[in-house]
Amino acid sequence: MSELRPKAIKKYLILLPALIVIILTSTYPILYSFWLGFQRWMVWESPAPLGFVGFENFVRGFADPKFQEVVGTTALYTVISVSMSVGIGLGIAMLLQKSGKLNTVIKMFLIFPFAVSPALKGFTFKFMLNPSFGILDRSIKYIFPFLENVVWLNHPFWALFWLAMSEVWGWAPLVALMFLGALGSISPSIFEAAKLDGTNNFQLFIHITLPLLKPVILVVTLLRTIFSLKMFDQVVTMTGGGPGSSTQVINYFIYQTGFRFMDMGYAGALATTLVIVMTIIASIYVRTLNGKEA
Amino acid sequence: MEAPQNMIMKVRTMNKTKSRISVKNYVLIILEKMLQILVLLFVLFPIVWIILTAFKSSTDAYSTSLLFKPTLDNFRTIIAPPYSVGPLFRNSIIISFATVGIAIPLAVMASYVFSRYKFKGSNSLLVYILMTQFIPAVVIVMPFYMLFRNLGMLDTKAALITVNLSVALPYAIWLLKGFVDALPKEIEEAALIDGCTQLQMLRHVVFPLIAPGAITTAGFVFVGAWNEFLYAMILSRTTSSMTLTIGLMNTLGPRGVIWEYMSAVGLLVMIPVFLLSLTIRKHFVQGLTMGGVK
Repeated sequence: MSELRPKAIKKYLILLPALIVIILTSTYPILYSFWLGFQRWMVWESPAPLGFVGFENFVRGFADPKFQEVVGTTALYTVISVSMSVGIGLGIAMLLQKSGKLNTVIKMFLIFPFAVSPALKGFTFKFMLNPSFGILDRSIKYIFPFLENVVWLNHPFWALFWLAMSEVWGWAPLVALMFLGALGSISPSIFEAAKLDGTNNFQLFIHITLPLLKPVILVVTLLRTIFSLKMFDQVVTMTGGGPGSSTQVINYFIYQTGFRFMDMGYAGALATTLVIVMTIIASIYVRTLNGKEA
Repeated sequence: MEAPQNMIMKVRTMNKTKSRISVKNYVLIILEKMLQILVLLFVLFPIVWIILTAFKSSTDAYSTSLLFKPTLDNFRTIIAPPYSVGPLFRNSIIISFATVGIAIPLAVMASYVFSRYKFKGSNSLLVYILMTQFIPAVVIVMPFYMLFRNLGMLDTKAALITVNLSVALPYAIWLLKGFVDALPKEIEEAALIDGCTQLQMLRHVVFPLIAPGAITTAGFVFVGAWNEFLYAMILSRTTSSMTLTIGLMNTLGPRGVIWEYMSAVGLLVMIPVFLLSLTIRKHFVQGLTMGGVK
């Protein structure tokens, strides 16, 4: 690679403003949370930290049954949200694969749900699931009368399920667009050859489409996992963590620990733990991306 | 419409009786069309429902009827106190534009350096910048809450702009790097030989060439800042910094959310991002995965 050769200092000068902002807005908060994690600091007791407590806050996290419950909830949420958005996204992509007027129109609309503010997604689903005037509630109960007595957001599992669905609604169409982009780069002659060999549609999907899409499915799954673990806004606008604590995901628990219970040390320790987990998943993602390019 | 597929079908089934084929095909096509309409419904229904509710009177909002007399009363109400969405809308505009205005120039410079020069640690730095994208917002906001409280900067637009940059800048650097990578180096070399300084070259040669990429990136950054919820929820108190997404929360009265008002605010939240996402549609998927899925 032939490099341009201006004075070496200049390139650092051009890079510097961005680096300063990144250090201030990302690096500083991470390090601060890390430091907080080793302090005892109940904000209602004192305006400043009360002293170094070693790993106490971290140990507390592992022993806290509340936190264990939250980790379980987050895991279940992530599984539902990721599998549903990849599954539905794949289904939509298969349906819209052929070119046609209707498909072009639908594809144009596929980006809209994602552009809706997550906070608004939460409110919208809460509205549509209302047991007395929710349109989604009415429609589902019309088709499945045996669900008549379910009050969706008062039920621990259904509340978590619909919380995930509010995210799936935004992501599945977009995942479909990613799959469609990947399918577009596969030569149609592969499909034609298989069809001439007498393969039926189902066999075609299992033995040809799915293996060809595997790398994209992997990337999308990792990306969706990362974003599921970041989800927060809908918990506030849709369930408030309830019923009980059944929809409290890790982010919400950290928020409550820090801003409701004012226990900054514990919140810092939990945040640091979360950052470590996210870093591991993110590095797998980066490695997968690099692997694809090579 | 589905020319290649139809032809293959015909070749495959040529030996069979003609009438059976067309009936089977006909049923399949109808089924496919129905499923496609279902996809369209899945994608658009929640959005349409919010738009309709925004124009419903308070009695119509609590029925699932599609027939109602449209009214602008909800918009009149949300403009007046206590909702006062006017200032909130203005704050959202100022904060989003400022975030874009700071992030894009810095990102152009940084992405240029990352794209054109390899230096010690440049790869790790780039990966680090990508990773900061995956840090949950809760982790970012806690330290900033403390910092802004100490600086007396709570409830200011500057605070929200600063925190927004934590996501916006790293994201913009990655997205723009892809655009700069695609530029041929020869033009820059020629400009340098002609005696341009490096900054002049950036301004007069590189910047105009990546303007389409910068506009797309600006679109994404704007949508992100516009839809942001958690930072504003924690850092703003009054109409001097409150954003439109917090305006959604304000419709939560003592007896629950007032849905027709929420929908009216929701409509205002959606309109700008829909317009933007249509203009940057072509790059949407690529932008989302930071170039990972093409």
